[in-house]
Amino acid sequence: MTADLATAPLLEVAGLHVWFELPGGRELHAVQDVALTLEAGQRVGLVGESGSGKTTTALTIMGLLPSSAAAAGRVAVRGEDLMPGLENGFRSHRWTDIAMVFQGAMNAFNPVRTVGWQIAEPMIAHGTATGSAAKARVAELLELVGIPAAAATRYPHEFSGGMRQRAAIAMALACEPKILLADEPTTALDVMVQAQILDLLTRLCGDLGLALLLVTHDLGVVAQTCDDVAVMYAGEIVERGRIDALFHDAEHPYTRALFAATPDLYGDEPVASIPGSPPDLARPVVGCAYRPRCPLAFAPCVDVRPVLAPVSATTATPPGTQPLTEPLTEPSTEPARHLVACHAASSARAT
Amino acid sequence: MSTSVSQVDVPEVEVQEGLWAAIREVLHERTAMVGLVILAAFVLMAVFAPLLSPYDVHVASCGVFDPPSAKHWLGCDDGGIDMLSLVITGGRISMIVGFAATLVAMTIGGGVGLASGYFGGWVDVVLMRITDYFLVIPDLVLMIVISAVWGPSLSHVVIVIGILLWTSTARVLRAQVKSVRERVYVKRAQSLGASHLRIIVRHVLPQVGPLLIANTVLTIAVAVFDETALAFLGLSDPTATTWGTVMEHAFDRTAVSAGAWWAIVPAGVSVALVIMGCYLFGQSIEDALNPRLKVAHLSPRSWRLRTLVGRGPDAL
Amino acid sequence: MRGSDYLVKRSAFAVITVFVAITINFFLFRVLPGDAVSNLARIPTATPELRHALRVQFGLDKSAWEQYWLYLGQLLHGNLGISFANQQPVRDNLVTALGNTVPMVAIGTVVAIVIGILTGVLSAVRRHTVADHVSTNLAIAFYAFPTQFLGMMLLILFAGLLPSAGMSDPFALGDVSFGSHLADLAKHMVLPAATLALTLYGENTLIVRSAMLETLGEDHVLTARAKGLSRRAIIRKHALRNAMLPTVTMIGLSLGSIVSGAILIEVIFSWPGIGSALYQAVLQRDYPMLQGGFLVITVTVILLNFVADLAYFRLDPRITS
Repeated sequence: MTADLATAPLLEVAGLHVWFELPGGRELHAVQDVALTLEAGQRVGLVGESGSGKTTTALTIMGLLPSSAAAAGRVAVRGEDLMPGLENGFRSHRWTDIAMVFQGAMNAFNPVRTVGWQIAEPMIAHGTATGSAAKARVAELLELVGIPAAAATRYPHEFSGGMRQRAAIAMALACEPKILLADEPTTALDVMVQAQILDLLTRLCGDLGLALLLVTHDLGVVAQTCDDVAVMYAGEIVERGRIDALFHDAEHPYTRALFAATPDLYGDEPVASIPGSPPDLARPVVGCAYRPRCPLAFAPCVDVRPVLAPVSATTATPPGTQPLTEPLTEPSTEPARHLVACHAASSARAT
Repeated sequence: MSTSVSQVDVPEVEVQEGLWAAIREVLHERTAMVGLVILAAFVLMAVFAPLLSPYDVHVASCGVFDPPSAKHWLGCDDGGIDMLSLVITGGRISMIVGFAATLVAMTIGGGVGLASGYFGGWVDVVLMRITDYFLVIPDLVLMIVISAVWGPSLSHVVIVIGILLWTSTARVLRAQVKSVRERVYVKRAQSLGASHLRIIVRHVLPQVGPLLIANTVLTIAVAVFDETALAFLGLSDPTATTWGTVMEHAFDRTAVSAGAWWAIVPAGVSVALVIMGCYLFGQSIEDALNPRLKVAHLSPRSWRLRTLVGRGPDAL
Repeated sequence: MRGSDYLVKRSAFAVITVFVAITINFFLFRVLPGDAVSNLARIPTATPELRHALRVQFGLDKSAWEQYWLYLGQLLHGNLGISFANQQPVRDNLVTALGNTVPMVAIGTVVAIVIGILTGVLSAVRRHTVADHVSTNLAIAFYAFPTQFLGMMLLILFAGLLPSAGMSDPFALGDVSFGSHLADLAKHMVLPAATLALTLYGENTLIVRSAMLETLGEDHVLTARAKGLSRRAIIRKHALRNAMLPTVTMIGLSLGSIVSGAILIEVIFSWPGIGSALYQAVLQRDYPMLQGGFLVITVTVILLNFVADLAYFRLDPRITS
C-alpha cells in the first residue's frame, strides 16, 4: 500500500471506516470502506442524502472526529498516512495542507471575534504570517474573494449570508492549503449567490491549483463545479466516475433516482423524490443497503453486498467519442474510471 | 428553493416521540436514577412517617443533647427529643410544604408561560414584563417581608414561596410553547377549528411535558430550601416540626456552642439530599433535552484508530 | 443604533423595576389585608403615644392614593421613616448596616465566582473524566446544603479557632490602632465570608460548566479545531470568551441567592449588616426598618443587574451593531 512519495497522490483515502459508539454499547457505522484520491487542480463532488456519511468522510480527512468515534483505514497526504497520529497527528496538517469551508458559515465563525481576526488566527497559529504581514494577507484574501479589505474589522453577524460564505472561503485559504474541502458551501443561499460562490470556488481551484472535494446533497451543484463525482449511500460509495459519464449513463439505480430528484436549471419541472428512507446504520446491513428502496432488486441483492467494480468501457462510453472529451493533461488513472457497486448493473451488462 | 432529497418533513409523532425519548434516555442514566431513588426514598419516608418514627416527637425520651447511641441513632435535641423521629416527622411537613408550594408555583408559572407563548402579542409582552420584574426582585427578601406582614403560618409559607418561584418556569415554558406553536400541525389543528384549550391540551402540553417535569422537580428543590430559610428566620409556624424549624431550634437553643452537631446534621443533610435528588433528576432531563450539550467539538481525548472486527467487507 | 437602544432599554427596565419594587413595598404594607397597620396592636411596646406617632407617620387619615404619592415624595427626599426599635431614622440605620454587609458579601461572592469559574471550566473541558465527576458532584453538594447548615457546621468546626460572632472583639478596647482593628475585622470576617463563598460556589460551578459545555458544542469550536489550533488556544481564545456571556447573565440572575445567603449568614454569625437588620426588624415587628431594608436590598440588586447588562453589552458585539 505504501506509495512512492514522488508518485503518491496529493490526497489518498483508502479503506476508510468510521464508527461511533452509541449509548447502550451499540455502534453506528457511518462510513464503510471509502476510497478516494484527489490530485492538484482536480474537483471531485461527494454526493448523498443526509446521513449517507459524506460529511463524516470529509471531517475524517481532517481528523475532526469526536472522541466517541473510532476509525480504520488510511488518509494520506502526499503519501504520508496521517491516521496513526490521531488528533495531534492531524493538527499540523490542518489548514496548511487541508482546509475546509463549513456548512452554514454563520455558525462557522465565532460571533464575538472580528472576521479579520479569525482569518488571521490560523496564520499566527501555524507561523505562516504574523503581525502586519498577517494583516496584509487578510486584506489580500478578502479582496481575492470579492470582499472589501476594510470589512476585516467587522463581526460575522454584520455580513450577509453570501459575504459570510466568501469570508469562510478566504479564511480557508489563509495558510495556502493544497486541498480544500467544502461541505454544503451553498446551502441556505439564494440561487444567484449560490452560482457566484460556486464560480468563485471553481476559479480559485484553477488559479491556485487547489484540489477540491465538494460535499453536497445537490447533484446540480456538483454538475456546475466538479469533474468527477462519487455517490454515497449508507456510508459507502456506490458509484463514481466523471460527471458527464454519470449524467448520461448512471448505472446505480440510486444515482439515477438522485438525478431524477434534482430539478433542472430552471427548476420548473416537478422533482421526483426517492421513496423510503436509508437503513439504520446502527444495525448490520446484510446484502445491498439500497435494496429496500430499489426498483431493480433481485435475488443476490438480499444477501450479497455489492462491491465497487469498473463498468466495462464499452457500455460506459461509446467507442470513438472518448479521446475528444479527455483533456490531454488528465492523468488517465483511477478517478476517470466509472465504477459502480450494484448487482443489477453488472447483471444488466452480463446479459 | 428545495432541491434536497433529504428535506423530508418530520412526521408529528416523531417530534413527540423525540421528546419522550429524551425522558426514556434519562431513565437509563445513572445520575438521573440516583436522583430519582433519593427522591422516592424521601417521599416514602414522608408518607410512612408515623410508622417509621421510633419515638414521639412531643415527649422527651432521652437527656439534653444526648449524643447518638444505639437507642437514639441520631442523638437527641435540647429537649431530650429523639433526632431521628424529629427528622422523619419534620420531613413529612417539609416535603408537603415543598410540594404544595411547587404546585402553586407551577400553576402560576405554567399558566403564564403557556398563555404568553401560545397567544403571543400583547399578552406575551405584558406577562413577560411582569415576569422580568419578579425575576429581578430577590425572592427571599420579598418572602420575608410578606411573611412578616401576614404572620407566621405554614399555609402562608406555602403561598409566599409559591407566588415567588414561578418566574423561571414561565420563561422556559414560554420559549418552548412558542416554538411548538410554530410547528405546522398546531397551525393545522387551528385551521380545522379546534378550540385553544383543545390545542393546548392535545398538542402543546405533550410537547412541553418533559420540560415541565424537569422544571417542577427543580422547583421542588428551591421550595424545600426556601422553607428552611424562612423557618430559620422564625417566619414559619414555630409549633410545626419541619426540617427548617428543627435547624432553627438547634441554633436558638445553643446546639452550636454545645458542639451538638447531631442536632443540626440530620435535618441539614436531609434537606441537602432532597435538593440533590431533585437536581440530579431534573437537570438530567433538561440536559437530555438540550441538543447543544450532545455535541462536544473538543474533548480531552482523541478518537481512536482501530482495526475492523466483524464489520465491513472483511466480514463478508 | 441598536447599541444605544439596548442601553436605553436596560436603563428603562432598571428604573421601572425600582418603581415596581417601591409600589409593591407600599401596597404590601398598607393595602393588603393583614397589613402592617392593622398589625400595630401586635407591637409589644406600643404605647398610645407611639400609636399616634405611627398614625401620623403612615398618614392613615388619607386615601391610599394620596398616601402613595406622599410615600413617593418622602422617598425622593431619602426619608425612609423612623425605626420603631431604636427611634433612629431608618436611613441612618441602613447606611451603617449596608456598610458592614458590603465588604463581607463582596469578598465571599468574588471568591465564589473565581472558584466557580475555575472549577466549572475545568469540569467542562475535562467532561466525563474523574476530575469532572468529582468537581461536579462536589458543586451539587454545596449547592444543596442549606446555608444555615453550612454556617453552623463551620461554627462547630472552628469553635475557639476563629471568632464566631460579630465584627470585632468587644473586649479589645485597649488597643485601638488601625492595623490591629483591621486584623480583628478580617479574623471575624473569615467564617461568614467563607460560608457565603461555599454556598455560592457550587451554583456558580454548575452555571459555568453548562455554559462552557454549550459553547464547546458550537460549530465555531469545530472550525477552530479545523484550523489546527491547540486545545489550549481553542479554550482560551474561543470557548472561554463565549462562555462568559451566559455566565454573566446567570450570575446576574443568581444575585437573589447571594442576598438570601447573606441574610442567613448575618443572622448565624451576628454580623451587624443589613440581613441582621432585616431579621431584627422581623422579630421586633419594626415595619419601617423592614420596608426600608427591602427597598435598599431590592434597589441594590436591580442596580447590580444593570451592571451585569452593561457587562454583557461590553462582551457581546452582536448588541452594538
